Amino acid sequence: MSALLEVSGVSVSFDGFKAINNLTFQIGKAELRAVIGPNGAGKTTFMDIITGKTKPDEGRVLWGDKSQSLLALSESQIAQAGVGRKFQRPTVFEDQTVADSLMLALRKDRGPLSVLWFRPSQADHAKVQELADEIGLSAALARKAGELSHGQKQWLEIGMLLAQDPQLLLVDEPAAGMSPSEREHTTDLLVEAAKTRAVVVVEHDMEFVRRLNCKVTVLHEGSVLAEGSIDHVTKDDKVIEVYLGR
Amino acid sequence: MVTDTSSSFGPKYSGGAGVKPPHEATAQAGAKPFLLRHPSVLIFIACLALFTMGVTILAEGFGVGAISTSFVKTLGKTLCLCLVALAMDLVWGYCGILSLGHMAFFGIGGYAIGMWLMYARTEIIVAQSLAAAPLPPTAQEISDGIATQIFGGVGASEFPPIWAFAHSLPLQLAAVVLVPGLIALVFGWLAFRSRVTGVYLSILTQAMTLALSLYLFQNDSGLRGNNGLSGLQNLPGLDETPQSVVSMWFFWASALALGGAYVLCAWVVSGKFGSVVRAIRDDESRVRFLGYSVEAFKLFIFTFTAVIAAIAGALYYPQAGIVNPAEIAPIASIYLAVWVAIGGRGRLYGAVIGAAFVSLLSTWFTGGQAPDINLGTYTIQWVDWWTVLLGFSFVAVTLFAPRGIGGLFDLISDRRAPDRHGADLGPDAGALQEKEADK
Ligand SMILES: Nc1ncnc2c1ncn2[C@@H]1O[C@H](COP(=O)(O)OP(=O)(O)OP(=O)(O)O)[C@@H](O)[C@H]1O
Ligand SMILES: [Mg+2]
Repeated sequence: MSALLEVSGVSVSFDGFKAINNLTFQIGKAELRAVIGPNGAGKTTFMDIITGKTKPDEGRVLWGDKSQSLLALSESQIAQAGVGRKFQRPTVFEDQTVADSLMLALRKDRGPLSVLWFRPSQADHAKVQELADEIGLSAALARKAGELSHGQKQWLEIGMLLAQDPQLLLVDEPAAGMSPSEREHTTDLLVEAAKTRAVVVVEHDMEFVRRLNCKVTVLHEGSVLAEGSIDHVTKDDKVIEVYLGR
Repeated sequence: MVTDTSSSFGPKYSGGAGVKPPHEATAQAGAKPFLLRHPSVLIFIACLALFTMGVTILAEGFGVGAISTSFVKTLGKTLCLCLVALAMDLVWGYCGILSLGHMAFFGIGGYAIGMWLMYARTEIIVAQSLAAAPLPPTAQEISDGIATQIFGGVGASEFPPIWAFAHSLPLQLAAVVLVPGLIALVFGWLAFRSRVTGVYLSILTQAMTLALSLYLFQNDSGLRGNNGLSGLQNLPGLDETPQSVVSMWFFWASALALGGAYVLCAWVVSGKFGSVVRAIRDDESRVRFLGYSVEAFKLFIFTFTAVIAAIAGALYYPQAGIVNPAEIAPIASIYLAVWVAIGGRGRLYGAVIGAAFVSLLSTWFTGGQAPDINLGTYTIQWVDWWTVLLGFSFVAVTLFAPRGIGGLFDLISDRRAPDRHGADLGPDAGALQEKEADK
């Protein structure tokens, strides 16, 4: 199976502190992957590198069938190439309605002029409605995102991500601040999404990761400590020592 | 138009069952013409039309003469200021770029049209005076004559290269749009590309404005130094037409430009483009991760608004009669921001109301009409104290009524905005958002 994303030998340091240290990571085209690790392990920084927010000091990040390097691209170009990202803190546009937010994210030409002339078709409205149903916000389409509850904001962000229709979804702590039933719904969304694309989920909550039922990568001090099934990594001595045993 | 986007979803969300699915309402709204979907635009145009008709009827030029010509000019100039405030609102209120340079574009527009006005009128005068000479004057003699007339005051008698197109109205009209447009394009490209934002960008735009004004202050800038261009109220070849009529022409042109620009701006900020632009204002890095090139959008808005500002200037200065470098000084752009803030940024009518209200009030106070206040030991003379009052109002609006005068309309229309308790709409207040959500 050819990899969709191949990160190899990547390192980043902030003022001498190595946040990512010789990290190597691969994910296939329709794969769900959980990334776990203690606070400060470098999980968010890892996503920053893939999405172009942080440029690594060394290493390669290759993308797609043509093995294109993502390092030379800007954030928006990487997003257009098919990488979508959900941030650790829910970042929705508070002043915009749920419908507008989803319409904004919908996969369309992103150039200023085509956006200027863009008028949504029936199909676009239907797509927005469909996404809203999926994330359980169809009754809130006309509400401003800022009025939503914390969990709803997380879902709206996931909805915007799905609207982008990316080949790779990077999801940073999607279940933070959610109630148990909301978590379950979120798991379903992610598992469903991973059927047609690659999904990387960063999460602290072991139960949540267990329910995802997928391969797990454990990060520690900026590099991969262990990789495999959840049962495999939870039995790993090193993992128990740095993470689970605390 | 934030108001309209939310109201276009038809029935307001009430949270209960039985609400018409918003999607249906959206789809229906999409079929209606633009103006009907945005009633505030229609209302604005109607008010502007009524105002224009009222002034026409009351003015000297074509009406009963209840309004003096100089007051018509004041009103016409005010419309131009409203127009540039509209541009400022688009770039600042909608896109979040606090440009302190838009009055420079306004000034350049004035200079561009002023050059033709001055050249063409002087040409007629010189031609008349040389007509009496025994030999018909050569083109060179006429050109020298014009140059002496225009530049005699600053000790030059030759046309600087910058005046190469001053003889042609179409070319100078093109310059009104192209020169500020190009400056904005190049400046914006450099600034946005290196991701200069916030206060730094404001300082940069202000530096640009200052540099331009200092350059124009020099006599060898070729634009008559601190004298500026004058006599612009006289249209070449129309000496017979009284100012009362000319003032009405410009008043109408200003009203037309304001109305047209208002519809255009409302169209630009409606729909997805407006959505992207407001998203950039609230959280630009998030917009990048959605795949939008933030720089391209900012550049578009910056250049577009610079052109609107320049057109406003080109209509303003023929009514003012004179344009000089002091008009381009950074303080003018700061006033512009104050108007928009007081009127209420992020809504187009707010900018117009702010500019009209503050600039007319300013005319009243600085014109010496406002009664002085005698405090016994000290007399407050508004001519001097008006700027202080304006400063305090600005601080007060910023602190206590961030939505400005336009915010009053929210009381009527019940525009729902999440109450951020003064916090940013962006991601920086993330912790606060979570706390709020827990409540
Ligand atoms: N821009 C930055 N400048 C300096 N240090 C940084 C920067 N970004 C991250 N770091 C540091 O790098 C390390 C890894 O941070 P990162 O946010 O990637 O951790 P994380 O695994 O996402 O942690 P958490 O579980 O708390 O979200 C931390 O020690 C953090 O302080
Ligand atoms: Mg993190």
